[in-house]
Amino acid sequence: MKINTKRQEGIVTAELVGRLDTPASQEVGNDLLVLQNDADKTIILDCTALEYISSSGLRLFLTLRKAASQKGGKVIVKNINDDIRSVFMMTGFLNLFEII
Amino acid sequence: MKSREKIRSDFKKIKDAASERSMKKKSFWTGLVLIAFAAVFLEAISLLQAHYAKKGVRTEAIARAESQLNSTRNNILNIVNQVESAVRNTVWVAQWCLDVPDSLQNIPKLIVNNNPIVAGSTIALVPGYYKDRPLYAPYSAITNGEIMDKTLATPEYDYPSKEWFTKPIEKEKDYWSEPYIDTGGGEILMTTYSVPIRDKTGRIAAVLTADLDLEWLSTLVEGLKIYPSAFSTVVSRTGQIMVSPAETLVMKTNINEFASSVKDSNDLKKLNAAMLNRESGNMLITHEGEKNMVLFGPIDRTGWAINVFIPEKEIFANLDKLSSFIRILQLLGLVLLFLIMRSVANSQIRFKAINDRKEKMENELHIASRIQMSMIPKIFPPFPTRKDIDMAADIVPAKEVGGDLYDFFIRDEKLFFCIGDVSGKGVPASMVMAVTRSLFRSVSTREDNPADIVSSINDSMSDMNESNMFVTFFCGVLNLSDGTLKYCNAGHNAPLILTDRIECLNVVPNLPIGVLKGMGYQQQETSLKYDDAIFLYTDGITEAENLKHEQFGLTRLKNTLSGRKASIEHLKNVQTAVSKFVDGAPQSDDMTMLFIHYLNSNIMVAGGTPEANNGLNDNSDSSYSLRITNDIQQIRKLSELIDKIAEENKISNQLHSSINLAVEEAVTNVICYAYGEKKNMPIDINVFVREGEIKFDIEDSGKPFDPTAAPKANTASDADQRQVGGLGIHLFKNIMDSVNYSYRDGKNILSLTKRFI
Repeated sequence: MKINTKRQEGIVTAELVGRLDTPASQEVGNDLLVLQNDADKTIILDCTALEYISSSGLRLFLTLRKAASQKGGKVIVKNINDDIRSVFMMTGFLNLFEII
Repeated sequence: MKSREKIRSDFKKIKDAASERSMKKKSFWTGLVLIAFAAVFLEAISLLQAHYAKKGVRTEAIARAESQLNSTRNNILNIVNQVESAVRNTVWVAQWCLDVPDSLQNIPKLIVNNNPIVAGSTIALVPGYYKDRPLYAPYSAITNGEIMDKTLATPEYDYPSKEWFTKPIEKEKDYWSEPYIDTGGGEILMTTYSVPIRDKTGRIAAVLTADLDLEWLSTLVEGLKIYPSAFSTVVSRTGQIMVSPAETLVMKTNINEFASSVKDSNDLKKLNAAMLNRESGNMLITHEGEKNMVLFGPIDRTGWAINVFIPEKEIFANLDKLSSFIRILQLLGLVLLFLIMRSVANSQIRFKAINDRKEKMENELHIASRIQMSMIPKIFPPFPTRKDIDMAADIVPAKEVGGDLYDFFIRDEKLFFCIGDVSGKGVPASMVMAVTRSLFRSVSTREDNPADIVSSINDSMSDMNESNMFVTFFCGVLNLSDGTLKYCNAGHNAPLILTDRIECLNVVPNLPIGVLKGMGYQQQETSLKYDDAIFLYTDGITEAENLKHEQFGLTRLKNTLSGRKASIEHLKNVQTAVSKFVDGAPQSDDMTMLFIHYLNSNIMVAGGTPEANNGLNDNSDSSYSLRITNDIQQIRKLSELIDKIAEENKISNQLHSSINLAVEEAVTNVICYAYGEKKNMPIDINVFVREGEIKFDIEDSGKPFDPTAAPKANTASDADQRQVGGLGIHLFKNIMDSVNYSYRDGKNILSLTKRFI
């Protein structure tokens, strides 16, 4: 699991690569949570290369989302695959994020 | 039969109406008695009130009359004094003139002239006082506004014999004469004031007088009319009537004569005596049939007395008017009260009558449904001679009549059984229940397949189901000789099947009975081995609530059913567990249970069990196991195992991913919470793949925790309100077909099952 972060014109893009399972969430959790500092901007979570997500991963997403709604920014989830989409659906996350 | 029933019902109606009428009558009389009491009470109050009011009014009237009487008396005295002064002031002149007899003629003239109140005056000499004039009495009087002089010394008049002359000489002091009618100048009521005149030697020489016209007296007394019919009488010292409303009596009658001339004279006589004794006071006198309040008192100097009669009727006239008004109001109030009472009583009677009828009807219907239910088997064991089956069943009815049912019987070596729950409660539900049960009995005598039985019942019920009540129903037919169980579920909750573990029987939900006619019902089949059991129940068990509104739930039910006991013991255990759980909370729904324990020893041999064949002939039964420690990193090993299983069993990628997610969540949960802070604790994952179904048993020996009983995650709320926990449990519950939890021998066992073909 890898996270590549880019900052450009007030937009922060985090590219998630691999499987965000429970152990991975522990490993890279801080790399994602540090984005809370940019919660006043637009954060794009690019999931094009994200294969899998567990509830621990979802929790990281949710933490970012809460920070954004507090600080006035927003979180955009980009390019999720069908498996992850169904997980988002089951958990009601589809309604919580802007999904592109 | 029908007509007889109709007659009976008509008769009943008549009886009901009669009892209603008699009740109405009763209420009428009760109302009347109450009103009478109220009337007596009110009357007593108003009498008391009238008594005190009368007392007050009388006191006030007496005070008023007394003050009027006093003022009249003062007015009379005032006039009397004027006359007396007129005479007395002239006495010294008269004494001085005695020496010049002719000058005496001027004395009366002087008095009359100076005192308009005096009608006439004389100075009458004692006969023989002057030698030359045996009688000498010059007199002056006012006639038609002019002073006329004449003499009273005529033989006809004979003044020395008159009272006004004799009395003052006799008494040697001044004197007011008895009133008399003066015929000299018309019929005038008069009285005369006389004073004796003494000469220088002290001998009485003459009498000086002044006449008082008494006409003003009756005018003055008129002022005493403080009430319209009040009247006054003035009498002289001998009782001669001087002023009276009956003018014919004036100067002609003495009051004592008058008293003797009337009836009921006792009171009058008392009054007369008091007045003649110059007393003053008041008394109550009945005169001419009417009560009068009489005040009386003397008039000083003259010897007269005065009284005033006031009819009580008039004193209390306003009071009487007021109390009649109050009486009328009271009467109206009582009538109103009576009408209100009647209308209230009547509506209550009607209400009660309606209620009674309703209750009676409900009772009768209740009895009807109980009669139906009384025909269901209730003696256990029901088949004491059979060794291959042990059964027990029970309905614990809630307070309100409900609509649970069960039934069973054996025909052609097959056990037909059913359980059902009618939607709703009350009499309608119990009627539908009774109908369902009798349909089950009649249909299953000809049909062998549960689906046909259910369809047939459904068709009959849907036909007549105007009240839109439906029945969740489970029907099974167990072939006792080989253990084959055919069953059909119509919207009922899945029964529990007890093999080496306890799980829900796989059921197709189907629609409840009574919803739609012609509905196809899917039949399912499984088989029971020796010592397997099936437990059918209604949701009154699992949804039994305690005071905190927690439900008994499936897990507690399963735990209660663990192990094999006599069927009847199992039922007792469940009942005890439920009642312990609800802890006094009122039972809101019927609780119905049916326990079937299959004990056919012919099919006991393992491996010889005829397996249910659902057309899924995938013989690739396989099992896997994995032991990990409670470390998050170990999840990777689990994923590797699932990858391998997916590959070997050709599980689709999408399913693979979600199965992986579910199991990962379940195991993560155990890793994070089961052992607390303790490290390197074991978690066993056993995987069974059989007939297109994959089953994960996750076992740990940590603290007991049932994730299936965890509260539902809120997946709809806003991000800000979203809880971070609970998502994992929510995910695996959603992904897997079934999730079962049990706690046995100190171990949490969580089973996740998913069909993948």
